[in-house]
Amino acid sequence: MPVDFQPKIIGFLCNWCSYAGADMAGTSRITYPSNIRIIRVPCSGRIDPLFIAKCFTEGADGVFIAGCHPGDCHYIEGNYYARRRFALMGDLIEYLGIEKERYQVRWVSASEGKKFSQIISAFTDKLAALGPRIKG
Amino acid sequence: MNKITSKKDLASWLDGLMKDKVLIAPAFVDNQSVFKHVANVAEITFDFKNTALSVKEWFFPATEPLFTIHQKDGDTTLEPIDIENEFVLFGIRPCDAKGLKLLDKVFLGAPTDTVYAERRDKTTLVGLSCLEPSPQCFCNSMGTAPNNADDVDIMLTEVVDGYIVEAVTDKGKALLSVAKLSNSKLSVPKIKCPTELQVKNVPEAMKSCFEDDYWARIADRCIHCNICAYVCPVCHCFDIRDYPTSEKTERIRCWDSCQSPGFTCAAGGHTPRPTKASRLRQRFYHKLLYFPERFEDFQCTGCGRCVALCPVNIDIREIITDVPKLGEKSATKA
Amino acid sequence: MMDKNIVKQIRDKAKELLSNGTIKCVLGYETGTDGMNARPAFIYEPEDVDRLIFDNTCTHNLSTYLRDKRENPVAIVVKPCDARAINVLLGERQIEREKVFIIGIVCQEVVQVSWGELSHDAQMRCKICNQHTPVIYDFLIGGPVDESAPKAEPPANVTAMEGKSSGDKVDFWSGQFSKCVRCYACRAVCMGCYCTVCFVDMLDPEWVGIKIATPENQMWNTIRAFHLSGRCIGCGECARVCPVNIPLDLLNMKMEKEVGEHFEFVSGLSSEEPAPLASFLKDESLGIGE
Repeated sequence: MPVDFQPKIIGFLCNWCSYAGADMAGTSRITYPSNIRIIRVPCSGRIDPLFIAKCFTEGADGVFIAGCHPGDCHYIEGNYYARRRFALMGDLIEYLGIEKERYQVRWVSASEGKKFSQIISAFTDKLAALGPRIKG
Repeated sequence: MNKITSKKDLASWLDGLMKDKVLIAPAFVDNQSVFKHVANVAEITFDFKNTALSVKEWFFPATEPLFTIHQKDGDTTLEPIDIENEFVLFGIRPCDAKGLKLLDKVFLGAPTDTVYAERRDKTTLVGLSCLEPSPQCFCNSMGTAPNNADDVDIMLTEVVDGYIVEAVTDKGKALLSVAKLSNSKLSVPKIKCPTELQVKNVPEAMKSCFEDDYWARIADRCIHCNICAYVCPVCHCFDIRDYPTSEKTERIRCWDSCQSPGFTCAAGGHTPRPTKASRLRQRFYHKLLYFPERFEDFQCTGCGRCVALCPVNIDIREIITDVPKLGEKSATKA
Repeated sequence: MMDKNIVKQIRDKAKELLSNGTIKCVLGYETGTDGMNARPAFIYEPEDVDRLIFDNTCTHNLSTYLRDKRENPVAIVVKPCDARAINVLLGERQIEREKVFIIGIVCQEVVQVSWGELSHDAQMRCKICNQHTPVIYDFLIGGPVDESAPKAEPPANVTAMEGKSSGDKVDFWSGQFSKCVRCYACRAVCMGCYCTVCFVDMLDPEWVGIKIATPENQMWNTIRAFHLSGRCIGCGECARVCPVNIPLDLLNMKMEKEVGEHFEFVSGLSSEEPAPLASFLKDESLGIGE
């Protein structure tokens, strides 16, 4: 692994809470590593396990998913379905040999800009230590 | 007078060949015999009937780039595929070798598939005749035989402690120039498959039973997977798609199967073969009527793989036996 | 090994249903061309019922054909595992209950099935089965069976896989998926795979594409396993039909184990219980999020 390995992280953020939370980190000038490439989705319930599998197949070193806190979903129930889906997807990718540290699901509200930046900083550091997902 | 070689001498001959050629031979992987690149003679298994996948994947791979397209500064160049190595395909059975001869009729006819042609050119086929055909084998009925040497460059037949060696072509003779051979009075036994079928009348009979609901009855249990087409040594349908990256585009060719539901689907959604019955019927008509009409040979070598591997026991031998009776039935109706 | 009594009851019932016009077709089993192993049979005429058999080579899950035949009423011979599949299809509104006459067989076990070979080894699903009476039927043949056996433990091979290191898991699965030729027999034989356009066949967007190579094969097989989570009834047919011996049931059994642990759900026991991925509990945490 090169000394300056920069992990590639794909992040799926729901428009109403977590994307707004990331936005708030930006407007508050709180820095976090730019390894994460953010894809905005209407709701965490829109995230298809196919996206996660495709990310890892195409070379992502980590996948980050964030949605509204359960009970606060803009579409009322989307994140409840998502919670079940992501739990199972995590079990499956771990069973295939992808370290579970490479896959993180967190609830981040629109006002949690600082929390978002802390989560992403910690995630990026962890992935940098783990190394590239696809070796060699 | 035949030539023989001992098992030990065969092993050292193969070892020597690996110095400048790539050796493809049968080996056991996960409880199955498969043809693969071997780096060591010890990897080779001689104790196999036949592999699940035929050898066609070495000449017509499951996925291959046909060429690469480079676009730079307004210029477009095509980079052909380079087959760098020379190959020895060891352990091929007569049914698979016949399969290659049938594929040649398709891929080497005009316009020639240059990549297939180069692979065929650069490969020497060392056949292994079958002393114990499997229950599904019927190659005798399909124009070849368990010890037919016509379609290989060298044919080996196992005898006690060694092999009878037949040099069939000049390519084969050249490869054998470094082999240790001695004379023998042993002869190649005539082996027959357990099943004998009459196929001569099948094409004519097929002409009159196209509309018979026999095909729908067989297709009832077909699950429209691609197993029969993929394991067959002679099936050769494919799909082509371009895969661009930021630097270049590769034109990729992959196996496809006429049994697949979307196979004949055209832009707009219309498909001439929407039912399982129409697709299943197409498979057998291609093998037993259309291919013989065009190439004067059946598109089947009697290897029996489809018989053994079809998940629902659709059996081409049963169809070959049934079709002439259907032909008679419709003749008496008329 | 055929139980003549079971076979007679199947044939008599089939003849009765076909003769009185109640149903148009009986989905059952007959002997295949190797003379040893069964294959699916579609009987349309009362005089053909003597083709029907039942023995421990009747491995096929005939419920996979029910959607093809849903225009007319049919009868179907089911083992207990297959009966659960019918509940899944009913729950997903893929078939109508009134159009399916279920002939349920109390099953002892099914052996490994391979054309031309007669096996005496029970299939993996039978070794961990604790449901020998079909959960849904219109006519029951056989039984009663003592079902006091303890709840089946997760299969040992799933637990063994879970215990491997990440590196070993990656090596194992990439070795297996490098063999895949994308024949889609696993999809074709599965009762749960019936999408009009499967994700793997989509070209726009192209999730997997046509290349037959290890990364694409891995995506195909893992997402299929995910799409079956909470729906797979563990018939193991996907693993049986694979021409290159990929242990696909090792993936599906893992998903069913997780579904069982997270949601206390076993697929196919009822046609009315909501599917785990189409429902939720507000207060569950599942170890996700915080």
